[in-house]
Amino acid sequence: MVTFLVRRLLLMVPTLWAIATLAFFLVRGAPGGPFQSEKEIPASVKAQLMHKYGLDQPLHVQYLRFLSSAARLDFGPSYKFPSRQVREIIAEALPVSLELGGWALLLSIVVGVPIGIFAAVRQNTAGDFAAMGIALAGVSIPNFVLGPVLVLGFSLSLFLFPPALWEGPQSRVLPVVTLATAYVAYIARLTRAGMLEVLRQDFTRTARAKGLSENVVVFKHALKLGILPVVSYIGPAAARVMMGSIVVETIFSVPGMGRYLVNAAFNRDYTLVLGEVLFYAALLMALNLLVDVAYTWLDPRVELA
Amino acid sequence: MTRAHRAPRRRIQLSLALLLALVAGCAPASPPAARTAASEARYFGDVTPPADDVLRFNLGAEPEIYDPSFAAGQPDGRVCRILFEGLTREDPQTLAPRPGQAYRWEVSPDGLTYTFHLRPGIRWSDGTPVTADDFRWSWLRVLKPENAARYSGLLAPIRNAVAYNQREIPDSNAVGIVARDDSTLIVTLGEPTAYFLYLTQFYTYLPVPRQAIARHGDRWTRPGNIVSNGAFTLRQWRQNNRFEFAKNPRYWDAAHVRLAGMVAYPIDDLNTSTNLYKAGVIDWNPSGYVPSQFIPYMRDYRDFRHGSYQGVYYYSINVTRPPLDNVWVRRALNLAVDRDAIANDLLKGSREPWGNMTPTGYPGYEHPPGYRYDPAKARECLAKAGYPDGRGFRKISILFNTSEDHRRIAEAIQAMWKNTLHIQVELTNQEWGSFMGAVTGLQYDVARRSWIGDYLDPNTFLSCWITGDGNNRSGWSSRRYDGLIRAAAREVDPARRFGILREAEALLLEDGPTLPVYHYSTNELVKPYVRGIYQTALDIHPLTYVWIDRDWRSREAAHGPAAAAGPERERVAGGPAGEAGAADRSR
Repeated sequence: MVTFLVRRLLLMVPTLWAIATLAFFLVRGAPGGPFQSEKEIPASVKAQLMHKYGLDQPLHVQYLRFLSSAARLDFGPSYKFPSRQVREIIAEALPVSLELGGWALLLSIVVGVPIGIFAAVRQNTAGDFAAMGIALAGVSIPNFVLGPVLVLGFSLSLFLFPPALWEGPQSRVLPVVTLATAYVAYIARLTRAGMLEVLRQDFTRTARAKGLSENVVVFKHALKLGILPVVSYIGPAAARVMMGSIVVETIFSVPGMGRYLVNAAFNRDYTLVLGEVLFYAALLMALNLLVDVAYTWLDPRVELA
Repeated sequence: MTRAHRAPRRRIQLSLALLLALVAGCAPASPPAARTAASEARYFGDVTPPADDVLRFNLGAEPEIYDPSFAAGQPDGRVCRILFEGLTREDPQTLAPRPGQAYRWEVSPDGLTYTFHLRPGIRWSDGTPVTADDFRWSWLRVLKPENAARYSGLLAPIRNAVAYNQREIPDSNAVGIVARDDSTLIVTLGEPTAYFLYLTQFYTYLPVPRQAIARHGDRWTRPGNIVSNGAFTLRQWRQNNRFEFAKNPRYWDAAHVRLAGMVAYPIDDLNTSTNLYKAGVIDWNPSGYVPSQFIPYMRDYRDFRHGSYQGVYYYSINVTRPPLDNVWVRRALNLAVDRDAIANDLLKGSREPWGNMTPTGYPGYEHPPGYRYDPAKARECLAKAGYPDGRGFRKISILFNTSEDHRRIAEAIQAMWKNTLHIQVELTNQEWGSFMGAVTGLQYDVARRSWIGDYLDPNTFLSCWITGDGNNRSGWSSRRYDGLIRAAAREVDPARRFGILREAEALLLEDGPTLPVYHYSTNELVKPYVRGIYQTALDIHPLTYVWIDRDWRSREAAHGPAAAAGPERERVAGGPAGEAGAADRSR
């Protein structure tokens, strides 16, 4: 187990390096640059700005400088928001995305898994069809439709929740529901599929033959294995959810990570793009590692070496 | 001050009103609340004044930086104007220069020397006196080459400012800014600049606190560190979330400041902003944040205001690429565009058709004749260029940055050119960074562009077309035009100066690389209980004397809405409303 963890952590280093390199050259290769505006910046000022941020150096020098500063987790100031460090921007936006994403993920597990189990044990009944129909709708309705509909209904008609802004517990409800819906639906479908497969297996039949109650069979024996696909899905899903969602953040004016990630690319805000990409990559790898560890606990057949 | 919803009481009242509206089967455009039997006044959403003297509004996008010396975008400027005050400050209605930190000034007869006298006893929010040298230091900070201030060009009229900024003169003492004593600032200009007092109220000219910058460096604008000299101080800032301002008790006119504070939310989504306004969370939804497709339905609401905005949406033509190097081709393209159809039909009258390069709103300036739709003359011009009926004309391309409105306009113009001139036109859209790269590098045939004035003078629209100007971006160069613009800069007599500028604009339209399409308008929503926010030509809103009127209903019942709301210019008669695309102005 320890060797496994050490090896995986060490493997992350070359992977991150490859991602950093690719991201660095991709963002530099994109047409345009960070200091463009509808109102032209005078050439002397632009040259001074380029000098200030070291953009007048040869590309390989910039690349090496970027690698060494990335290793120290210091990406410098954002170009778009010059009074803020990339670190600060991430540090301030991350807790918001963690909160929004955390609730959304929790909600989708708490609702999605029971729906999936219910559908699986009642396979091909009306209940199954209804549950999967709802799940299909949840996957299919995009959040840029769902969000405004929820605002119209719950904010502008029923006045239950504020229509936007991240202020007070009430403001969390609509963005969390909007973000969670697609995950609820997907997790329900994964759970159903996983459970169906496990319920057909020999050890389930053995459990039933022993005369165990259906509840014990489903929840104690089948669920642990049936939920494996969900677990492996949750790793990357959690990373995605923590990096924020530009759609949900824009509709509800949530100060999370998603808008920075997307807009930084549009603004050619090199430092912010690279900082966010590397952070996302590290987060994704860390969560995948956690998923692998969770597997050993859920499925005794899996051994980490 | 932190609650998003103010009063549950109001919510119940509102929901009842809305339920009734829903039961009655009303469409979304129906008046949601506040339709009282006594008056037929219709307002968009909640009109209950807040319990506290706090103005809540949408700031626009998240400011990039609100250090006045380096601020660039409109949201940046909004924050700077709340926190700081310049030598002069805008009249809330006309934007004309009024005494600010300087209570009087003298201009020498040749128009080159301005002597500003600072108000006695003015102080920074930390108690330090504001001195003439603070202004000198702040302006030199903008000009200092190492600081790379984007808007340093606005200080160009000051003698030797450009030379110092471009390292031609190393000594900052050569720049025409002298603090004679603590309360007298003498500014010497290179050329008489008719609009200089408008410049001194622009945010690049705002004073910054030397003491706080020395202590905190780049972090001096953070709450807790920041020191300001305006009517408000910064209490809280959370990125992408909120700015909270508190009244500055040390402001020289604090006795007349009626707001206890303000909360500004950076909301970049138009629908979100309008929803928050409707729900009564924000009291002011500024121009640019009402979705353009709503505007035709908004006109009947009393809290909706529209008016002219100093901006022009135009196409720029790359004159370095044949056949667009031919002036007759450019005239043909201009004459073949039906601006009325675009503004009135396509954009549902939300913008004003416009065939000139300078907008309206300069008293005394008479526009040269602008372009009007004339298909016959357009075909004639194209024939003169050597392409009768479009024969032999290569396919040209219209470039625009990705946006639904830009696409619709480009499609309309494509069809007009095809039908009138029988030429082939293709559309190219690019995301912002690539688009800017292509336009700056002259890698286009015809490109969508827009220009928003910095100060109230036609010069801000015309001077960018001189040879080699960074905003020209069309390859066009005319010695006569350059000469006219320079002559206007030297002219002291206002009428003669406008005459020269008029000639320049006529030349630009006749020979130039530009195809104006429409005139921008402001469209904003202001709650009826908010007093002191006026529609202005530059969409600049001094908020110092704004107040919350809790008795607005009785006042309006007594005098009618127009009288209670302020001067008539809040509603510009017949002026079609348009929308300055948020994308244009947040960049």
